[in-house]
Amino acid sequence: MIPFILRRLFSVSVTFVIVSILIFTMMHSIPGGPFDAGDMPLPPEVRARLNERYGLDQSLVTQYINYMGGVLRFDFGIPFQSPGETVLELLGRAWVPSLVLGGLGVLIGTPLGILLGIAAALRRNTWIDYLASAVATLGLTIPVFVTSMIMILVFAVWLNWVPASGWGAPDKWILPIAAYATIPMATYARYTRSAMLDTLNKPFVTVLRAKGLSETRIIYQHVLRNSAIPMVTVFLPMFIGTATGSIFVEAIFRVPGLGAYFVSSIRTRDYPLEMALMLMLTVMFCLAYLISDILYAWLNPRIRAGGRKG
Amino acid sequence: MTDLTTLPGAVPDHRQRSPLHFAWRRFVANKAAVVGGAVLILLILMAVFAPLITKSPPTAQDFLGEALAFPSAGHWFGVDDLGRDFFSRIVYGARVSLSIGFSAAVFSVLIGIPLGALAGYYEGRIDWIVMRIIEIFSVVPPLLAAMLLGALVGGGYWMIIFIAGLFGWVQVCLLVRAQIKAFKEKEFVRAAQALGASPGYIIRRHLIPNSVSPIIVGFVLAIPLAMMLEASLSFLGVGVPPPTPSWGQMINTGMSFMYFYWHLAVFPTLALAVTVMATTLFGDGLRDALDPTLKGK
Repeated sequence: MIPFILRRLFSVSVTFVIVSILIFTMMHSIPGGPFDAGDMPLPPEVRARLNERYGLDQSLVTQYINYMGGVLRFDFGIPFQSPGETVLELLGRAWVPSLVLGGLGVLIGTPLGILLGIAAALRRNTWIDYLASAVATLGLTIPVFVTSMIMILVFAVWLNWVPASGWGAPDKWILPIAAYATIPMATYARYTRSAMLDTLNKPFVTVLRAKGLSETRIIYQHVLRNSAIPMVTVFLPMFIGTATGSIFVEAIFRVPGLGAYFVSSIRTRDYPLEMALMLMLTVMFCLAYLISDILYAWLNPRIRAGGRKG
Repeated sequence: MTDLTTLPGAVPDHRQRSPLHFAWRRFVANKAAVVGGAVLILLILMAVFAPLITKSPPTAQDFLGEALAFPSAGHWFGVDDLGRDFFSRIVYGARVSLSIGFSAAVFSVLIGIPLGALAGYYEGRIDWIVMRIIEIFSVVPPLLAAMLLGALVGGGYWMIIFIAGLFGWVQVCLLVRAQIKAFKEKEFVRAAQALGASPGYIIRRHLIPNSVSPIIVGFVLAIPLAMMLEASLSFLGVGVPPPTPSWGQMINTGMSFMYFYWHLAVFPTLALAVTVMATTLFGDGLRDALDPTLKGK
């Protein structure tokens, strides 16, 4: 187990370094800089001094090394668009609504999706199976900003049940969280259904039935447990993946979260903030995959024995 | 089924049936896939014959006097804020969406096949490198990378195709890799190797033709992903620039008008949803029909 983890850790670190270099280079190759004449009519000396102050006059390699050195000390620099605070402070402030939105969305969507998937697998070709398939297909194929728009139109504009946008009061949370929850719900309805069906078709289930075990015990003690592996391993990547979905949900419902900064940091060439956001997501994805791999190996001893994942 | 496939002396009722025949039967049995395919064909026809079924070009501001008019007999989907017939905009939007979807899928397949073939055939170090490249693409959220790339090269139609292809090849590559890995130990490949065929020849003449069904599946499934990416980027304002009609862009504009002029939000939203959904259902059905072992994955 330990060598397996170490090997994965190594390959994940290599990936992370490559990704950070790629992003840094891409970011700096975008024409224009944060203190260009277009946005900020400054005298040339002031601009030169600003560039010097933020190290933008140095070579890319030096800048990269300096920045990553800072990152190792948890210093992500100062965001150009709000120089009164550090990147970490800004992220800490904007993080809260995003986390509430994403966390509640996943907490509500996942169990609903699992229940739907189980019901669909146990009652094949009934209305609940079709409902689960419809939810899964709709949720996975329709972009989340379209889902959000439909929800606003129906529940806020036509039925007038809830406010369409904003974040202050909890009644304003309902729509964005519901829109957000459709992603984990769809993902889980699909995965649970197919994992359950896979397991139900295995010979050991037939043996259990032949032995006369009650259907309830077969389902809860054997089938569910054996179907859990793909369901556990898909959770973390999906959870992090919803972070990109949050850009749209937050933009549409005017939630003051991280989402807006993804777009604005690229627009304004806010290098420190942009880099921090990208690195943060990359690290989370790397960790999510790493933990999923470890969980997978831990839950499924056959992989551990083989050592290598194909 | 012609008589050529009937063995001499065999009972005429038991005709030899090709795998394609069974695939077709499986496909037709899948109602959702058939409906998806039909809708997709209809959308393609609409996109191709757009000038014939619309009354004005999508960018012509012919109806400024009726700007923001609701749907009527004269304007089926109403008129938008800049006096353009909204039905024309939606129909021409199908051209943008579908052409980007198909071109990006072609691009994905062109990158995915050689990399998947190399990784699957040689394994070892080459496989490791390809898998690391895939890992890089899987830890970077495509949307953010696309936004960066879009800013880098200035967005635009061709750029979206390039970006969508760049992030769409992973699935094709994995499918081809798995297929080739499974086939390269088969007897006919061994025989070709024994006859002295070079790896390039074996991959081109034996392994890739045997990977046609995963390639088709990967191709069709890459289309909706590309269309979604285009719509998302255009929605955020970094995709296809106006005045080219793009549904994502229209949804963004529609948002500002939705309280009073619902049609500007509803029609592009529905158009995008229906198109992506039809393509996905068609692709899923095709996958299940061509390779039943992949079902539900």
